[in-house]
Amino acid sequence: MHIPENYLSPVSCAVMGAAMIPVWVHAVKKTDRELPKEKLPLLGAGAAFSFLAMMFNVPLVGGTTGHAVGGTLIALLFGPNAACLAVSVALLLQAVIFGDGGVLAFGANCFNMAFVLPYVGYGVYRLLLGKQNGRTSDARPYGASLGTSDARPYEGGTGGIRPYVAAFIGSYVGLNLAALCCAVEFGIQPMLFKDAAGNALYCPYDLGVAIPAMMIPHLAVAGFVEAVFTVAVFALVRKTAPDLSYERMLADAPEAGKKKKYIPVFALIAVLIAACPLGLLATGTAWGEWGADEIAEIVTDGKALGYTPSGLESGWSLDVPMPDYALEGMNETLAYILSAVIGVALLIIIFKLISIPMKGRRNPS
Amino acid sequence: MPLIELERICFSYTPEDAPVLRDFSLSVEAGECVALRGDNGAGKTTLFRILNGLSFPQEGVYRFDGEAVTPALLKNQRRAKLFHKRIGYLFQNPDVMLFNASVREEIAFGPRQMGLPEAEIAARTADCLALFGLEPLADKAPYHLSGGQKKQVALAAVLSLNPEVLILDEPLAGLDARTRGRLLPLLAELRQAGKTLLVATHDEGLVEALDARTVRVGGMHNA
Amino acid sequence: MIPGWMKQTEQYAPPRDGGAFAIRTLRAMGGVLARIRVQRGRDGLGIPPVAKLLLLLAGLVTLALAQNRLLLLAIAALVLGYLCLLPARTLWAVLRPALGAALLTLLLFLPAMYIRPAGAGNNWVVIGKVFLSVTMVSLFNQRTQWNRITAALRKLRVPGIFVFVLDLTLKYIVLLGGLIVDLLTARGLRAVGRDRHKYRSVGGVLGVTLLRASELSRETWEAMVCRGFTDDYKGL
Repeated sequence: MHIPENYLSPVSCAVMGAAMIPVWVHAVKKTDRELPKEKLPLLGAGAAFSFLAMMFNVPLVGGTTGHAVGGTLIALLFGPNAACLAVSVALLLQAVIFGDGGVLAFGANCFNMAFVLPYVGYGVYRLLLGKQNGRTSDARPYGASLGTSDARPYEGGTGGIRPYVAAFIGSYVGLNLAALCCAVEFGIQPMLFKDAAGNALYCPYDLGVAIPAMMIPHLAVAGFVEAVFTVAVFALVRKTAPDLSYERMLADAPEAGKKKKYIPVFALIAVLIAACPLGLLATGTAWGEWGADEIAEIVTDGKALGYTPSGLESGWSLDVPMPDYALEGMNETLAYILSAVIGVALLIIIFKLISIPMKGRRNPS
Repeated sequence: MPLIELERICFSYTPEDAPVLRDFSLSVEAGECVALRGDNGAGKTTLFRILNGLSFPQEGVYRFDGEAVTPALLKNQRRAKLFHKRIGYLFQNPDVMLFNASVREEIAFGPRQMGLPEAEIAARTADCLALFGLEPLADKAPYHLSGGQKKQVALAAVLSLNPEVLILDEPLAGLDARTRGRLLPLLAELRQAGKTLLVATHDEGLVEALDARTVRVGGMHNA
Repeated sequence: MIPGWMKQTEQYAPPRDGGAFAIRTLRAMGGVLARIRVQRGRDGLGIPPVAKLLLLLAGLVTLALAQNRLLLLAIAALVLGYLCLLPARTLWAVLRPALGAALLTLLLFLPAMYIRPAGAGNNWVVIGKVFLSVTMVSLFNQRTQWNRITAALRKLRVPGIFVFVLDLTLKYIVLLGGLIVDLLTARGLRAVGRDRHKYRSVGGVLGVTLLRASELSRETWEAMVCRGFTDDYKGL
């Protein structure tokens, strides 16, 4: 799912990168509060694990293998915020050292794999587990450290198969939503960025092709790889070290606690994520329908104005209400940038709103 | 015909580095016991990696049971699996050998791989647990055991495969007197049962108890 | 007393079964570790790492923005011209990932070219751009030591915390990657038959790695505290 360089337009990359900034800020702040003091080395360890997990070949049917991302798994163990940072660091190293995923596309890759995947995966897991688990993990004191946890070898955390089912579904949904975001990012490229002849400048496949092309393999195979992978590792860790989980860390952190309030947060984030590609999609089609090919061409590159007039002379000005193409082009670029700013602002506002009730609750206790 | 035969082996990790093993020859008959001595970094572990088909010498030949062990031979999965079944390898660091959720599963891994019936897997596992007195730890996670316990679990996991050749890298290093006292006669008994043993050790008592032929590895003594 | 079955030499005919996942993972990990470890020396051109990093970013952005074929050709000429100066072995190390990425893109774009031949020109441009950007990134890597890169990031006023995590991550990748290689190797020696529980092995290997990761991080932190660290990450 790593988006390589130049599949997305630089503008898209910039927008996705900008969208990640408030996410990272939020994640850093939350991690600071939730995780035990050894948070930084833990982030390094989580990032290293994430990096290695992405290189790990998971067996599939018939001797073939696939890769998992492991975003949900890390969220289950270290929390979605730490997972976001850990996966981001891992993606950065992959992009810079191994050329796996573009350097400019880093923001987009982070959005899909470090933001959508862990938060959705963890959110679904929490929702499915409901209150039952919250109570049990509250009831058990954190005190037991890794060393003493083998006193109860097989009853890691909440008993039963339920956490595993939740983890399975959570990671499956998380991965597929991330893949959907990726497909949408690909799919809007040919709608927004074309040359004078209407040919795509970046990824050539529109939504109609990109979504099925991405989603069919992910729904059918990759999602299950991710899910089985998540459950397999999660199971061993829960059996071996039941204390190593996000819930336990929250219970341990003096100010965090009260997991229930996280559920609305994740519901909100899920809505946000669902809305986000829809919004992009809506604007995409609007531009695609309304703006002629040339407009998109101008949007793509301000400099292009210099060498395209030949394309514009061919009867194009007759159909378009505003003959001043330069102004038109500027408007489109401006509109794109403005909507990006609005999107970022919205994200910041939502995260700020989310943090209000938490602060309120924390102060009295 | 010797079971294990190394003929003028040369090995270096990278072409630039000095060779770890130079012109090393060794011949071990079935049922024989060889103690490998040498300073730290003399190449004992490297030698063991070669014997297990994990590394291949740049020069010289390694024959196991009359057959040259080459990357091509081990490419054949069935041959490779039979080869690994016949040779058991106890790593110096037992941590890298333990990846199952419980001690019992760890020991059952080998027999289960061999496709034995469940009842026999259970019996073998129980035998191996008893051999080391590991029963109380059977359901614990290997990850949480002490160093000595890990070593015993790792050895039990190797023995459950019932290999003909045992390659033991520092089997007694870092063990307390009681554990050592249990392992020493056990290894001697395995030798008596006809297993071929290759042991890297700095432990004089072990060499004596096994009545082992001593071979020096590395440094000036390489010949 | 050793049990009776242990005294006997048993006949065993192993079944055919792919352990492909372990072999492939071992290969991938080996590549990663070698790449991180080998990354030493050979600083090219004598340009300071900060400048190289900025140059790389500028190059990538220019390349991504460029629609003018002439400009693209100029960049290609520059990059390929520099490649010519490299020794053969380095050249291959640089080109391999770039060729792989370009080939993958070509395969992905072939249907599009077939469906819409008019757009093929642009598709080729994208393929060329993918090739050039991966070449630039791997050139940068081949010619720059990692600790210099993190030092460069520090000079660029990237927060110390971030650089610290990055350094730590690299260190842990080497340590944990080594552990995964060892675990898979040791598993391979005992995986002498048909593995019906492959996912258990995957879970085991990665689970142990994860536990070790959390242990490592705790130990690192404890070692930091023992050396007088006072919870002030800003001074890093």
